[in-house]
Amino acid sequence: MSKEPVLEIEDLRTYFYSRSKQAFIRSVDGISLEIEKGEMLGIVGESGSGKSITAMSIMGLVSAEPGIITGKIGFKAESVHKNLLPDLKNYVKVNMSSGKIMEVYKDDNGWKKNIDRIMHKIRGREISMIFQNPKISMNPFITIGKQITESIMLNTVIKNRREAKERALYWLERVKIDSPGLRYNNNPYGLSGGMCQRAMIAMALSSEPAFLIADEPTTGLDATIQSKIVDLLAELKSTIRVTTMLISHDINVIRELSDKVAVMYGGIVLEHGPARDVLSPDYGHKHPYTKALLASIPSEEHIRKKGYLQAIEGDVLDTINIPAGCRFCDRCNMITDKVREMCKHAEPDLENISSEHKIRCWLYSGS
Amino acid sequence: MKRYPQYKIKVSSLSDVPFWKKAGAMNLLYVSYGIVIVITVIVSYILGAFESLPFDPQEINLGLMMTPPGSSGHILGTDFMGRDILSRLIIGIQAYFLPGLLSVAIAIIFGTWFGVLAGYWGRGFDTSITYINNLLNSFPRLVLILLMVAAFKPDIYYIMVIIGITNIPVVASLIKGKIQFLKGKFFIEAATALGLKNRVIIFKHILWHNCRSVLIIQATLGMAEAILMETSLSYLGFGVQEPIPSWGNMVQAGANYFMQGKFWPSTAPALAILFTIMGFHLLGDGLNNIFERKQKI
Amino acid sequence: MSEAATKGAHEALVVPQAWYSQYLSWLYNMLHGNFGTSTRSGLPVLREVILVTINTIYLTIGSMFVTLLLAIPIALLSARRGMTLFTWPATIFTYVVSALPVFWLGYIVIYISMHQFGLFPLAFGAMSKKFNWIYFLLPVFVLGIGNGTISEVVRYLRDEMERVFAEDYIRTARAKGASIWKHSFKEGFLIPITEIIASKISFILGGAIVVEQVFNWPGMGRMAWQAAQDRDYPLIMAITLMAAIIVRLGSLIQRVVHIIVNPRASQE
Repeated sequence: MSKEPVLEIEDLRTYFYSRSKQAFIRSVDGISLEIEKGEMLGIVGESGSGKSITAMSIMGLVSAEPGIITGKIGFKAESVHKNLLPDLKNYVKVNMSSGKIMEVYKDDNGWKKNIDRIMHKIRGREISMIFQNPKISMNPFITIGKQITESIMLNTVIKNRREAKERALYWLERVKIDSPGLRYNNNPYGLSGGMCQRAMIAMALSSEPAFLIADEPTTGLDATIQSKIVDLLAELKSTIRVTTMLISHDINVIRELSDKVAVMYGGIVLEHGPARDVLSPDYGHKHPYTKALLASIPSEEHIRKKGYLQAIEGDVLDTINIPAGCRFCDRCNMITDKVREMCKHAEPDLENISSEHKIRCWLYSGS
Repeated sequence: MKRYPQYKIKVSSLSDVPFWKKAGAMNLLYVSYGIVIVITVIVSYILGAFESLPFDPQEINLGLMMTPPGSSGHILGTDFMGRDILSRLIIGIQAYFLPGLLSVAIAIIFGTWFGVLAGYWGRGFDTSITYINNLLNSFPRLVLILLMVAAFKPDIYYIMVIIGITNIPVVASLIKGKIQFLKGKFFIEAATALGLKNRVIIFKHILWHNCRSVLIIQATLGMAEAILMETSLSYLGFGVQEPIPSWGNMVQAGANYFMQGKFWPSTAPALAILFTIMGFHLLGDGLNNIFERKQKI
Repeated sequence: MSEAATKGAHEALVVPQAWYSQYLSWLYNMLHGNFGTSTRSGLPVLREVILVTINTIYLTIGSMFVTLLLAIPIALLSARRGMTLFTWPATIFTYVVSALPVFWLGYIVIYISMHQFGLFPLAFGAMSKKFNWIYFLLPVFVLGIGNGTISEVVRYLRDEMERVFAEDYIRTARAKGASIWKHSFKEGFLIPITEIIASKISFILGGAIVVEQVFNWPGMGRMAWQAAQDRDYPLIMAITLMAAIIVRLGSLIQRVVHIIVNPRASQE
């Protein structure tokens, strides 16, 4: 059963330049992903693993320089079928030395204009995005109702203000905001975080996009509100079935909502497979990082078995100095003598261990 | 195309590159131009104080009126009375140099003092500083100075004291703002908890490490403003009087000749004002960009 | 002079007794609308000052307009596109022009107008018939460009706009395809403009003193200069007060606009 991929990312690299250290910050260092229609892909990883930057790269919202330097993002919806990063080679020239990128020439202004021209029709209309911290992500000077109406009038066929308002009210009801008529005229600063997030979800879905990116939608909210938003997202997922990329560092949220999961660390994908396989503690083949992540979060089993939480040793990868070899090497607790040399000196590729499950680890390659 | 080079394969995670590498080229240009101007002013001041000038600034030489620059040994030419312009310009610096320094010193010393009081101990000091700031800001500087001139002696030193005093609240607010920002970073609480004396915290940690760039920038801008004030005042006829040269009154004296098409006697001092004020401004701006502006994310 | 005459003259002029009692009596008189009489002209001060203030207000508003006309495009373009082939020379130009002494700039403008248009602006009233409207524009132009206002306005507007562009809600607006100019307008443009106008009014009034001198413009500035020359104490006090009132009015208007625009400010 092969569905059509809505989004295909190939070797995306987004680097930032640190003037004070005169070096590149390799936030996204070669990612390849695929999302199929109707599927929800959860991207999980610690802070700094490059998850949010991946989302921003897809939307073309990366503002710092040099930004995206290589890659191809194929997007396919009903009316649109295009590469979101065309002509990248015309604006970027990359010089390598000993396998690492050492010099980049980029025409930033030209590239930004190019991206804006391409993404202009797509942002909001085909791809919508919701953000962390809903209270500061909405314009504090305009009522939430007007912001939703604006999105509708810009991105759907409805151009009449009254109809758009009705639509907005419909969506406010859909996201289960209480008294939508009243809330329509509220400013974001007067609403709670949960209500703002619902409003932002309404705004994103009201334009009926083909693809939704949710960047840490529950982070920053109170725990009880978090579970309510997760329930809302689950309900919307089952009724509307919009293709989604869900980003979070909270594994429980990913586990509840996603069909497939990609685990990111240090700017690359370490594991990619069906959620029930990747995230269940019992599944046999697992990347050491995923295993360690699962062991470090509290769950019912843990409490029942009275086990200790296992913290992952070491610090998060410094994305300026990326070591040769596997990125997780010095924090990994599953290295065997057989693979030790390879782990230190060569980076493994993402390899299939089953039809839908890929792992990047020397312990599994070749099997 | 913009170039982004990475020089080392392995980048030390502890040290940054020295600041003259990470500042942009433009900012370094601004700062170097500013430093050149400052040095020129200081050297000229010293030359003027010791009267080691190429010609006597008051020496009238009616045979050599309005000669262009470079003639008969007068590097910048002569004015409408045959006096050497370069020497007059150098002497003109005397009019604003020390008074300007006085004004800047008053503003910074008292401003820092009050700013620390307001930021560190807050409450009463804070509200009174804000109140005084609002009060002083309601009056245009030049109008206040004319008021002083009408009421008291029109001595340039008094005037600079007034300017210094009006700048105190500006510096105080800046320092106060910085301190409040730093307080939000908790390290002041941490330092106090560690047992550091207040005096040490204030002088070493807050002022020296965090505020020195702001203060230097304020000093340069303050000097620029002092020069502007002095030249405007001497242009209007207050402060230094003819025949003692000051850049302002030199421009004023050459006005009639300007209208007749003889530009140089007015233009030479005007250009001096231009380059000097620009020097201080660019110095302040360049330093501001290097030390204070945040990197874009 | 006879003793009686000296004593009479002494009493007729403002005698500095104790300076605070003099100040208090001035304050008292002022609150009753009596600003005293000018020691030079003998006319009541208030009337003279008000007539002249109008001329200066015209200069202030006009020059503000000129400054904004030039500064706004440079600031907005710099904020949006960074330093480009247009914004970079334009910014340098504003720096240079701002550091020029205003009076010298005035001379240049007068010289050009004299030889191009045949004006003799030093004599207000004796103007060449064809171009006398230019005479009203010259001082406004000079005050708007010179005096250091324009470079600070450009810098402030650009910094504020850049700050707003970096806000999260602008990122959301871009993500939904909305126009960022529309979303950044209130916080990045409207509020900073009112703030910079309010804060620069006192600066412009100071510059007006010099410009009015250059163009012999009958405004508050020239009157203040004259009063300072003559030690005309009541006159200059009244002018100072009037200047402060103008500045305060500007500040008040700015605060009102701020409250109207910002839904949060009304609660502070």
